[in-house]
Amino acid sequence: MKKLVPTAEMTLGPFFPREFAQGMNDLTHLDGRPAEGEVIEITGRVTQLDGKPLDNLVLEIWQGDAQGRYDNPDFLGWGRAATDSDGVYSFRTIRPGGRAPSINMLLLYSGLMRQLQTVMYFEPGDHSPKLVAKKEGPSRYRFDIRLRGEDETPFFDD
Amino acid sequence: MAYVIEPRDPLTQSEGVVRGYAQTALRWPSQPLARRAHGAAELSGPAGLQKKLPLLRGDLAGYGEKRAIGQLIQIRTRVVDEDGAPVPGAMVEVWHCNAAGKYIHPNDDNDAPADPNFYGAARVMTGGDGLIELRTIKPAAYPVPGTGGWWRPPHVHFSVWGRVWLSRLVTQMFFPGEPLNEHDAILNAVRDPEARSGCIARLVPRENILVYEHQLVVRGRKASPALP
Repeated sequence: MKKLVPTAEMTLGPFFPREFAQGMNDLTHLDGRPAEGEVIEITGRVTQLDGKPLDNLVLEIWQGDAQGRYDNPDFLGWGRAATDSDGVYSFRTIRPGGRAPSINMLLLYSGLMRQLQTVMYFEPGDHSPKLVAKKEGPSRYRFDIRLRGEDETPFFDD
Repeated sequence: MAYVIEPRDPLTQSEGVVRGYAQTALRWPSQPLARRAHGAAELSGPAGLQKKLPLLRGDLAGYGEKRAIGQLIQIRTRVVDEDGAPVPGAMVEVWHCNAAGKYIHPNDDNDAPADPNFYGAARVMTGGDGLIELRTIKPAAYPVPGTGGWWRPPHVHFSVWGRVWLSRLVTQMFFPGEPLNEHDAILNAVRDPEARSGCIARLVPRENILVYEHQLVVRGRKASPALP
């Protein structure tokens, strides 16, 4: 059977509706019920080549539950956040479990012609140290993202 | 049967750094993107997204006194995977500017009038046939500030979830026969002409409404059965 060619991705543009990007960065509750596991906060700043922080950039995450499962009907491991004028995003979520716990991240923005995929890990391992979040407190992690230039974050093309 | 995501032909996808679109050179990574093995995370996706993303108005045009100004159109978009199989229950977000080229967005400085009857954002879910239908008005072209004459051709933004995380698709739909299509830095960042024309809808005039038909192919297909 002839395989169809996936539609070309294009930039999100500068006018992604505000209401689409707000109020979706808390994964700790679903339908009013709290999720099981350790509640953590992840924040970071997203910058471009010249170090300028990027405002209104959209990040989406996808992660497993506290056991590392991706099919838990009581935990929707998906969230979305937009950066503020300082380029800062934040998520409240559950620390994922499993082997080499990680959170998949996808970035969408004006001037990004395609989505960028990266991964945040909690511990060093078989991956770039640039992909490991910094622990900033008991349940606080920091994961800065540099799109291009010095200390550029590794991105994936799957 | 297992679902697989295969590498894409780069010619059918947008280039990262695009001439005439200055921000791309500040934002697209300088290092080549790495390939990785796909595990449970990449080959699964959020089920029940509607618990977090409420569905919103599939009709952007309105009626009577509340009717948005502009040419009434219907957009019929089918979401399929690389096998051509419809993707039912796929969440689709849509946004576009009004018939004067103005978005309802604080970052839009374009000196064009807002239309109080047009908001310009929808979130809908595909039916069993992978189809969504939107009743709306045709968006206009608008200038991109500071570019010395780049005008975006009329287009509609789409954000779609396929069956798995790596099927996520954010793209734009264009209209056939628009002179600005030939000059658009975004549409022409797709080098393969067939892939480019796949982003342009097909016009089907119907009674009382112009219909634009369009297909979105999200990544992924069923794994071929192993040979005996």
